[in-house]
Amino acid sequence: MSNDTLIRRIALIEAILFVSKDPVEPARVMEFLGIADIGEFEALLAAWEKEYLQERPERGLLLKRSGGGLQLVTKPELHDELKRFFTIRQAAKLSLASLETLSIISYRQPATLAEISDMRGVNSTGPIKSLLQKKLIKITGRKKVPGLPALYATTQEFLVYFGLNDLSELPSLEELTELFEEKEQPSLFKSES
Amino acid sequence: METQFSGYQVQTEFFEGPLDLLLHLIRKNKMNIAEVRLSRITSEYLSYLEGKRGINPSRESEFLMTAATLIYIKSRSLLPKPEEPGEDSPEKRLIHTLIEYEKIQKISHLLQEMEYTELLLWRRLERSEDFANREYELKEVSAFQLAEIFFDIVKKKENEQFLYIASKNYSIAEKQAEILSLLESGGFLDFTVYVAKLDSVEEVVVSFFTLLEMVKRHLLVAVQEQLFGTISLYRNEAGRLEN
Repeated sequence: MSNDTLIRRIALIEAILFVSKDPVEPARVMEFLGIADIGEFEALLAAWEKEYLQERPERGLLLKRSGGGLQLVTKPELHDELKRFFTIRQAAKLSLASLETLSIISYRQPATLAEISDMRGVNSTGPIKSLLQKKLIKITGRKKVPGLPALYATTQEFLVYFGLNDLSELPSLEELTELFEEKEQPSLFKSES
Repeated sequence: METQFSGYQVQTEFFEGPLDLLLHLIRKNKMNIAEVRLSRITSEYLSYLEGKRGINPSRESEFLMTAATLIYIKSRSLLPKPEEPGEDSPEKRLIHTLIEYEKIQKISHLLQEMEYTELLLWRRLERSEDFANREYELKEVSAFQLAEIFFDIVKKKENEQFLYIASKNYSIAEKQAEILSLLESGGFLDFTVYVAKLDSVEEVVVSFFTLLEMVKRHLLVAVQEQLFGTISLYRNEAGRLEN
């Protein structure tokens, strides 16, 4: 492949990702560029990512893979200044109740409201509603038990939001225990004396 | 990020629920969940409840329910009845729930960390002030809402003075053809603007019935972008195939 072709392809990928709001499926880009070999495509992406984005401090963008797709995102170190420019006071983060609810759904999907509330020890209607609104979860069906409760599962948006390509990227419960054992803190609540 | 982010620290005024409080007490007393004697932390749990320390007022009933379970467990432990092996005691059940809940907390903290890292990366059409407050979801409106707007418009028309030269007869079929051709050229139709342009109350009435009929037959979708906002009419592509 000539250097011109390489440059042209990189320019095209960048343009496609620039215009796209959602992560772009790599397969679509490959087909469009006429690349059949996934290895070749990955090498192309890696070269672009490294030489034209990461190693160029004058560039504000990065290539991100989430939700199984490719996306252009801003470099993390620009966050504070971007926030200033767009005058955003505080990024809207999920509440702890929402995070707990998502935790259960992400590991036990599909799950019903009753199962989630039971595991959390509190009624979880509120977080379910807000997560549905944010499209981080969706109803996938009804459980075949009395009352036919809705079954909730995570969405593509969930993967993108947390920077995952698929659910298998979440650590297993065993790995999770190890992950947090080293960091165990004496007290989780500051107010406690 | 204004607040300093340190690991998986929980920043909340309240305990998320009774399980959260129980886990906190277990950690505070440096107990091992699997071997914890719940009867020992019952009085501490109750003192939190009594002093309403960290108890979310809207969750009080749930805290009370767990308190009842704890007292029941304690009363059982005071009775000299030997525990039958393999019996699913309320204590075992609660401990099992606690162990599961601890996992949930760990996953939540992990998700929180991931969220934090991801929020540093800005994506297209996201989190700028304009987009943050924008509601993307278009709500389909009911016939009642359409009717409300219709009566509003009729009222306005009533106050207008018309000079009738000749009365014209309107038919639903004609109107439907007209609306469809308008949609063909414009893509969508602003209900308020469209009706305001009509000549007479009679024409408004016929148009409105035509619209209702078309929505009912799924030829059109009526969409309201915001509360009290105007209603836009779109062709229903799926409905078009069916009809």
